[in-house]
Amino acid sequence: MSSDAVVLSALLAAALDGDRQALARLISAAERGATLPPLTPPTDRAEHQLCIGFTGAPGAGKSTLVSALTGHLIAEAGAAAVLAVDPSSPFSRGALLGDRVRMHEHAMDPRVFIRSMATRSETGGLARATQVARRILQACGWGLVLLETVGVGQVELDVVYTADLVVVVLNPGWGDEIQANKAGLMEIADIFVINKADREGLESTRRDIDAVIINRPEHQRPAVVETVASEGKGVKELAKAISLARESLCASGELHRRRQRQFATELEQELLRRFKVSMTQLRQEESYGELVEALASGADTLDGAASRLQKIVLGKIALR
Amino acid sequence: MSEPTTNATTGATTSATGKRVLMAKTGLDGHWRGPTIVATALRDAGFEVIMIGMARAEEVVQAAIDEDVDLVGLNVGGHVDVAVRAVEQIQSSCDGVPIFAGGVVPPHAKRKLEALGVEVYPPGSQLPEIVEAARRLTGII
Amino acid sequence: MQTPPEDRKWTSASGIPLKSFYLPDDVPEGHRRVLGAAPGEPPFHRGAYATGYRTKPWRIFQLSGFGKPEDENERIKFLLEQGETGFLMEHDRNTADHLYNVDHPEVLARREDVGLTGAVMQSVRDIDICLRDLPIDSTYGHAGGAVVQHAPYALAGYWTVARRRGYDLSRLPGTGQSDYFLTYLGCVTKQQVPTDAGLRLNADIIEFCDQYLPRWVPVSIAGYNGADSGLNAPQELGALFANAVEYLEEIKRRGTMPLAKAARGCGGVSFRMSMDVFEEASKLRAARLMWTQLLAERYDITDPKVSNLRIHCVTAGSRMQYQQPFNNIVRGTLMGLAAALGGVQSLGVSGYDEALSIPSEHAHQMSVRIQQILQEETNIASVTDPLGGSYYIETLTAQLIERAWAFFDEIQAQGGFLACLDSGWLHQQAAENQHQEFMAQADGSQRIIGVTDHTDDVSPFEVDGFMGVDDAFDVALERLEAVRRERHEKGAADAMRALEQACRGDANIMGPMMDALEAEVTLGEIGDIYRQVWGDWSTPIQT
Ligand SMILES: Nc1nc2c(ncn2[C@@H]2O[C@H](COP(=O)(O)OP(=O)(O)O)[C@@H](O)[C@H]2O)c(=O)[nH]1
Ligand SMILES: [Mg+2]
Repeated sequence: MSSDAVVLSALLAAALDGDRQALARLISAAERGATLPPLTPPTDRAEHQLCIGFTGAPGAGKSTLVSALTGHLIAEAGAAAVLAVDPSSPFSRGALLGDRVRMHEHAMDPRVFIRSMATRSETGGLARATQVARRILQACGWGLVLLETVGVGQVELDVVYTADLVVVVLNPGWGDEIQANKAGLMEIADIFVINKADREGLESTRRDIDAVIINRPEHQRPAVVETVASEGKGVKELAKAISLARESLCASGELHRRRQRQFATELEQELLRRFKVSMTQLRQEESYGELVEALASGADTLDGAASRLQKIVLGKIALR
Repeated sequence: MSEPTTNATTGATTSATGKRVLMAKTGLDGHWRGPTIVATALRDAGFEVIMIGMARAEEVVQAAIDEDVDLVGLNVGGHVDVAVRAVEQIQSSCDGVPIFAGGVVPPHAKRKLEALGVEVYPPGSQLPEIVEAARRLTGII
Repeated sequence: MQTPPEDRKWTSASGIPLKSFYLPDDVPEGHRRVLGAAPGEPPFHRGAYATGYRTKPWRIFQLSGFGKPEDENERIKFLLEQGETGFLMEHDRNTADHLYNVDHPEVLARREDVGLTGAVMQSVRDIDICLRDLPIDSTYGHAGGAVVQHAPYALAGYWTVARRRGYDLSRLPGTGQSDYFLTYLGCVTKQQVPTDAGLRLNADIIEFCDQYLPRWVPVSIAGYNGADSGLNAPQELGALFANAVEYLEEIKRRGTMPLAKAARGCGGVSFRMSMDVFEEASKLRAARLMWTQLLAERYDITDPKVSNLRIHCVTAGSRMQYQQPFNNIVRGTLMGLAAALGGVQSLGVSGYDEALSIPSEHAHQMSVRIQQILQEETNIASVTDPLGGSYYIETLTAQLIERAWAFFDEIQAQGGFLACLDSGWLHQQAAENQHQEFMAQADGSQRIIGVTDHTDDVSPFEVDGFMGVDDAFDVALERLEAVRRERHEKGAADAMRALEQACRGDANIMGPMMDALEAEVTLGEIGDIYRQVWGDWSTPIQT
């Protein structure tokens, strides 16, 4: 074993033993792309081994809702982990991660583990890092994972490939967004939450959602739950809806299919990542320049140059 | 922007990418002016800044552990002993995580915190100076 | 690093481009119409009163307070002896802003902080001690309650003490504050009632004063706290009036009192005075004109007694530097001068040790002396609106008004002032300005003496922070226990129940609040009721 692998195994052993610091460090290593020892995956039957994704526009109240729901769920599940993802700045790659402020009531609860994550890289990167973090958590006894992601751009769609079940958080007065089916959000929902139900426009938003989901077969029609997260209202109902949705996904085999797909996605993404790393290395090398030159001078076709490049890259990946 | 080279296990790196800083306020008297500006500057320098707002010593410690941060920034004010208590708890529970502090820190308080190994940036400190400190304390430079 | 003069962009602090001199034609057409108005006449930009400081010198009004109620009482007496002409109470911010008693876990964790930013006042007994021997029937007092959720308690406490002393509430002078800028923008507390609940509290206070305390200024919108968090001059103006509109709309919706009286109640405001002397002086002129416009155009109120805005100013705390603190005496003087030139009814000058701690006795004395020197030695009190008619000042006044209304409109377009606090938009505007300012300091385009330049401090005097007293927490805890032990428990419980009911319904809460104070219900118990009923407002965080 390499020395890195030794360190990671030791961390995993400690994390499995309940050491939070080791768990936290393991997640950091995963975020940086470290290769982890095998992890025990969740089982479909276990009710409290579930990754619930929450997505919606900034300010919709996701963090507040996740916090309130966590308070509710730990009573039964015994423990819950929260992964709160916010975007990195595309310019500096830095990030301001503020979700913990909303989850303050759990700050000192040993049954709750909260981790803030930045999206860091472009599409796909988030899914990989959160997926690994989720796997680490679940393997280390944190079966219930609540994953908050910001519903902006491509990122929120990745959540489908990470979470077992998706809750889309909307607010009253968002009719236009719903009708425009913003970024496909409406299609990925297993449950809709209309949070800030204390605000005006609740009825029309409900109607807009109904109009969108009416076309789906009844057994696949998402539940719509109204909440006032800041006052804890509707949270019990949401927990109930989640439980029902999980049961139905499990019974239909869809939960199993989704988890298979999660692994497949993870696998493909890992391969793509390796490919990218090799490409980055390759760009520095002479042979790459020669290939480009051959293409530019007309000595080789795109197809021919690409085939040769493919061979070199695959060779590099194999060498790792 | 230069490509960072990172060791996946240890996190050793040449840029701030992936370096994590926890920002907390020890007091209840709430001017947020300083910490927000510093947080933004750190973000712009490539750090991931985790904000937890007003927090007690044990809450800072818990967040620092769970978030696996490389640096803790404390906004202090009021009585220096409140900050001292937070510093001592962080130092005893999060081995080796460096701490820097800003806020209303009169000279006697500054001396007391510095004696504990905390770098102190009183009002009037310039942002580049603070960012530089974060880079140094997280081992980037 | 210094920018050569030819490259430098000459602008006001808020970014209004400046010419090197001004001519009559520079004054915008529309503004020329009002140039002939005298002070004390609408649209009042030249001053609220014709005779200005000759008949009404501005009130010397310093924020003060620390330690135990008796420590604060002593400091207030000291300031009054020094020539202060009104007084401000400050309640300990750790407990008061959050409505926590000292035995709340959040306070226990920071017990040493208790009493550092105001005196601890957990029941009417403490407020009584703080006001001991003070002539509250005749002196203009500020009861504290700067933070919205704290105001009903602070006011009811002050009024209960006054009533117990046999004073007629209908003749009691003074002011409340309950300021949105402080509460939701400047000094966001850990726990705070949501903005709409706060609006209800403030409207209740306005109604209650209308009925029982006609000489009391019920609320005081403090643009100061917006500005010291980053809003520039026109933004401070625009946001302040957007805030006033929320109050007026709420009163209008209720229909329980004449709108003009509510407008009068909202017409005592405070602004920040910063270092751009002419822009700040112009800002005050702009403010008075805008208020007249707003009331006339939006609410058809033209009674000059209502539409002359009364202004309190505080010099910018954030301009007081940590380095070379004695320089701050000069800064305080200049900012005070700007206020005096623009026309104010009252003024507070920040202590020279502001960046280090709450003011020491000496710093406080200097703040008073600065104002006395301005009033007595400079002769600026002789002539009202001495800057009036200056091409530059009139142009700047008109430009500020134009930009301020644009900002006001932007706020309205987003659903109004409360919506902009809830969404974090105002925070973002403030943060952007501050960020730019920091960048300007870093790149040398903004220079601060002793901080960015001339940093060698050879002063023989070290100024250290004032640390108040040691026993504030212990005494507060003892007194809290004494209140719990000695009060009529059933009376207190009934009063709490009645207060909770009032909070849940829509009756005015100030009556039940007075009863609660009378029954010695404590600060933290009132906070618990609020938290039960309304939950928390949480800061919008920008990422
Ligand atoms: N009125 C109201 N405000 C809410 C509700 N839920 C959350 N908020 C507020 O909305 C703001 C944004 O909430 P947050 O949880 O940070 O949203 P996120 O960006 O989606 O995570 C905060 O100020 C919350 O207090 C609700 O149900 N009603
Ligand atoms: Mg969030």
